[in-house]
Order: sequence, then C-alpha cells, then structure tokens
Amino acid sequence: MKRIENRFNFFRILCLFVALLFALAPVYWMLTIALKTEVDQFAIPPPWFVFTPTLEHYYDAFVTRAFGQYLITSAIVAVTSTACALVIGTLAAYALARFELPWRLNQRLSLWILSTRMFPAIVTAVPLFLMMRDVRLLNTRASLIIVYTAFNLPFVVWMMRGFFADLPRDLEEAALVDGDSRMGAFVRVVLPLVAPGLAATAVFCLIVSWNEFLFALVLTQTDAAMTLPVGIAGRVTQYEIKWGVMSAAASVAIVPILVFALALQRYLVRGLSMGAVKG
Amino acid sequence: MKHFGGTSVVDDLSLEIHEGEFVVLLGPSGCGKTTTLRMLAGLENVTSGDIFIDGERVNDIPTQHRDVAMVFQSYALYPHMTIAENIGYPLRVRKIEKTERATRVNRVAAMLEIESLLERKPRQLSGGERQRVALARAIVREPRAYLMDEPLSNLDARLRVQMRGELKRLQHQLGTTTIYVTHDQAEAMTLASRVAVMKKGRLQQFDTPMNIYNRPANRFVAEFVGSPSMNFVDGKVDAGIFVSDALQIPLSGFANGSKLTIGIRPEHIQVLSEPHNAAIAATVYVTELMGNETFVFLSVGSNKLIARAPADFRAELESKVWLQFATDKLHFFDQKNQAADNTD
Repeated sequence: MKRIENRFNFFRILCLFVALLFALAPVYWMLTIALKTEVDQFAIPPPWFVFTPTLEHYYDAFVTRAFGQYLITSAIVAVTSTACALVIGTLAAYALARFELPWRLNQRLSLWILSTRMFPAIVTAVPLFLMMRDVRLLNTRASLIIVYTAFNLPFVVWMMRGFFADLPRDLEEAALVDGDSRMGAFVRVVLPLVAPGLAATAVFCLIVSWNEFLFALVLTQTDAAMTLPVGIAGRVTQYEIKWGVMSAAASVAIVPILVFALALQRYLVRGLSMGAVKG
Repeated sequence: MKHFGGTSVVDDLSLEIHEGEFVVLLGPSGCGKTTTLRMLAGLENVTSGDIFIDGERVNDIPTQHRDVAMVFQSYALYPHMTIAENIGYPLRVRKIEKTERATRVNRVAAMLEIESLLERKPRQLSGGERQRVALARAIVREPRAYLMDEPLSNLDARLRVQMRGELKRLQHQLGTTTIYVTHDQAEAMTLASRVAVMKKGRLQQFDTPMNIYNRPANRFVAEFVGSPSMNFVDGKVDAGIFVSDALQIPLSGFANGSKLTIGIRPEHIQVLSEPHNAAIAATVYVTELMGNETFVFLSVGSNKLIARAPADFRAELESKVWLQFATDKLHFFDQKNQAADNTD
C-alpha cells in the first residue's frame, strides 16, 4: 500500500510541477525581458539565469514615458468602479434575495440583469463611444468608471444574491426584533457573514477592470486618461516592438492585483468554494 | 393586555392576555401557532384584525419598535460575534453606552450562569448553553413581552426537563408577559398559566392547564393533552346503557339512541385481576413496565384502551382482566366531537 501511495504522490507532485511551470514560465520570461539589455533579449540561445540586469527599461517606462500616470489611472478606475459596483450591486442583490416583489419580479429582474452580460461587449463599443462623445466624457476617467461599473454590476448582483439567499433569515429577524433597523441589521449582521463572498466578488471585479482593454482603447486616447493595458499595447509601434518597456510596465502591472489577492486569500477560498457547495 | 384577531393561516383568532401571564400556544405542526407569534413580533403581516400591546394598536409599527423580545427555535445567535456581543446587541442598537451595556450583560449572564462563556463564539457552545444565551439576549432588554418559539425542542430530553423548570422560575422572577409556542403538551401543562390550544389555525380552547386537562372542550383537546392519551370509545346509548361492542356502561342523562363518544383517561381505569360486580371484562394486549408505573394496553372487543396500573402490576399477554371505570371522570363527546354534557 505504502509503495503505491508514494508513487501516486510522486506522480501528483510531478503533474503539479509541470502545471506550475506552464503557468509561471511566461511570467518569468516577462520579468527577465524587463531586466535584460536589448542585446540579451534577442540573444540565441537566451541567457536563462545568468545575465547582467539593467533598469533602463523601467526608467524608460516610468520616467521618460507616462507609465506611472497610467498606473495611477488604472488604479483609480479599477478601485472606483469596483467600489461602485459592489455598493449598488450588493444592495440590489439583498433586495432581490429578501423582499417578495409582485409579478415574480424577483426572478425576472435577476434574469434580466444577468442577460446584460450575455451579449458580446464589442457590440456596445461604438454606441458607447458616441454617447461619451456627446456628453463630453471622452478621454476622461469618469467614462471608464461608468462603463466598468455597468459591466461589473450584473456579476456582483448575481454572485451576492446567491450568498444572501443562502443566509438563513433567522439572523436578520433576530436583529430586527432586537431593535435594529433594516439597514442596521444589514450592516451589522448580514454583511460580516457574507464577507467571503464580497471579497471573492471584489477581487474578480478588480481583475476585470484592471485588465480591461477594449473599452479603454475606444474611450481614451490621451496620456492623461489612458490605462495600463492600453499604454502597454501602445508600445507596439510602426517601426519596432518595444519589448523591454512593455515587459517592465507589465511586471509592475501585475503587482497590485497579486498583493490584493494574497491579502484576501483567506476569504477568496471560502468565497469561491461556498458558491460551489451551494448547488 | 394583548388582544388580537386573525388571518387565513390563522383563522379568526381572538385572545386576551394579561400582564405577567405565561400563555402557551399549543398545537400540532402547521396549526398556525408560530405564525401567530410572528405576527405579534411583526415578522408577518396581519391580513385582517388588530394586535394591541398595552392597549396600543401595533399592526403598523415595524418589528424593531414593538419592544418585544423573541427566542427563536434555532436560537439565531450571531455567529460572528462573541457571546457577550450577542447578548449586548439589543443594547448596542439602542445606543446604550459601553459601561452600562457591560454591567447589564454581566448581570444577565450571572442570572443564567453563563459568565464563563462570555468571550466564546456561538459555535463553541453546546445546545443548552446556546439556548441560555438566546434567553439572555431576550432578557437583557427588559422588554414588554417575551415571545418564545419552541425554544426547548432542540435539546435532549433530560436537558429539556431541566430547562423547563428553570424557565418557569425565571419567568416568575421577572414577571414579564410571556407567549410560548410548543407542540409538547407536557411543556404547556407545566409552564403555562393559560394554554391556547390550536388546530389548523383555529382556537380550540383557551383556559388554565388544569381546566384543559379536566374539562376539554372537544375531542381534539382531550386527545392532545395528557400522556398517554385519553381513551375514546364510540358507541350508542340504548335504554340507559352505553354500548360499544363488548363494552357496556350504564349511563343516564342521554337520549335513547343518541350516538356518543366516551372519553376516559388512563389513570381513571382501574385494572383488576379478579372479576368484580360492575367491572368490564377485557384482555391484555401488552404491558409496558415504566418503572414507576405500568401501562396496560387492553382490548375490549374491538376497542383498544390504555390503563395506568401500579408499578408491581403484572399480567400475561392475552390474559383476562377486569376494568373499573371511575364514572365521575367520564368525558362525553357528541357526533361533532364537541364536549357534550351529561344532564345527569
């Protein structure tokens, strides 16, 4: 028995290792490109581990060009749109989960909200451009915040409604009888109990907003309003592809999400698996 | 004083409850007793009728302002808060400041002997401890009334009996009006100053436990209260004798030919091993030795009866015995299963 177990274990570890390699290899490559001189970048065979590192690309990205600006823009847009979507979406989800509306509106509204995510986003690219132009919001962060909130809302509502529905009504009723207002009961009793769900939803919204490319490209063309993805893609110029700058910027771009996800890791696992077990 | 009237799940219910009373709503599952309680708390809407608390109509007053405390069947303790925070929650919501909150929480915890648990979380507590925390949370507010929804049903039998006694003492100490929902007739009998027996949303009888036991208003109440249950024999009155198969009892005061159901409680049937003049012959179906007494299951023709016998009573299966009914303890029910009076 033990020998078979050991072999299984070894096989499992081997598979995990290979999978990890697949996942992390591109990241490693990107990091090294960011730190290599252009000569090293194109050398064959590539110097895998031994090379003289240089910070020229980082300098190029953040000092010479406006990547620092892009970073701040991306951060503001992602955080604000996530916060808006969470607040509005969570309250809507609570109402849909807890209050009995006439004409089966609970189901109908939920389905309708989800349906807004069912068509390809690119279909709305041109209409949104025209709308934003008409209200003079082109090339502003506000336009992106509005659009990202709109796209994140259905997801937030759908996820949170599930978490609220799973919560037994007893606890809110007890809070009401104890003298709390509906909102008070919501904040003090309900929210702490769905915190894992909130965290999982928040991380997902942040990632989507942070990486979003299409609408950022359509709605923002100036340095002041551009987000990181657009900025990085812009390094593909007519004459050459500036791999070094791109990689340097990209390596910085993944850090905030990583940090956030690690910080909320505890909640993330609970939040994601809670949804799975619900069934 | 509380006075309220009903809806369709609860049909035409009118009760007047006095200050300091312990009223038990008793009935089988689905009889509307929990719905009634929730209407009182404001957690369900009243379709028609009024609820008055202290003379004030509260139908339109939301739950949080009704100043009643509720103990739920599932206890509904807030899992993410410590026991002290759980108990202190009603005070915190009323913005009572910290030191006074702590004093009151500690005092209530001492009353219920749960001081050692104050810093723990609900999931670390046993069923009995959680139940006491739920009680503490209700008491700490000093509300106008307590509403309890089968608070003892999740406890094991021994703990249930123990907590029953403690609840009764507690209510006596505090003197607050209490409305208690249960399907356990023993709880109703032991705790209540008055019992409201309900069936399918309708009130069957509202009286003191002893009156409900000794003078049930109908067959349902008679059968529901008392364990083992009352014996019922359906039959007819024929020339001054009640006849049901092999069972015959001389009976006056009822019209000749009237259909009747006789009810008699197990403790009012005396089982004799020797024939006696007026005794009815019966066969032993089975005996149950309870330790302090013996339950004897009997057949009299097609009728099955249960009798209580002294602890040392023994009889073989299928053996013949003789029964003596305490005739002053007979209950009569007419064809509509309502209590009928013996005009004797």
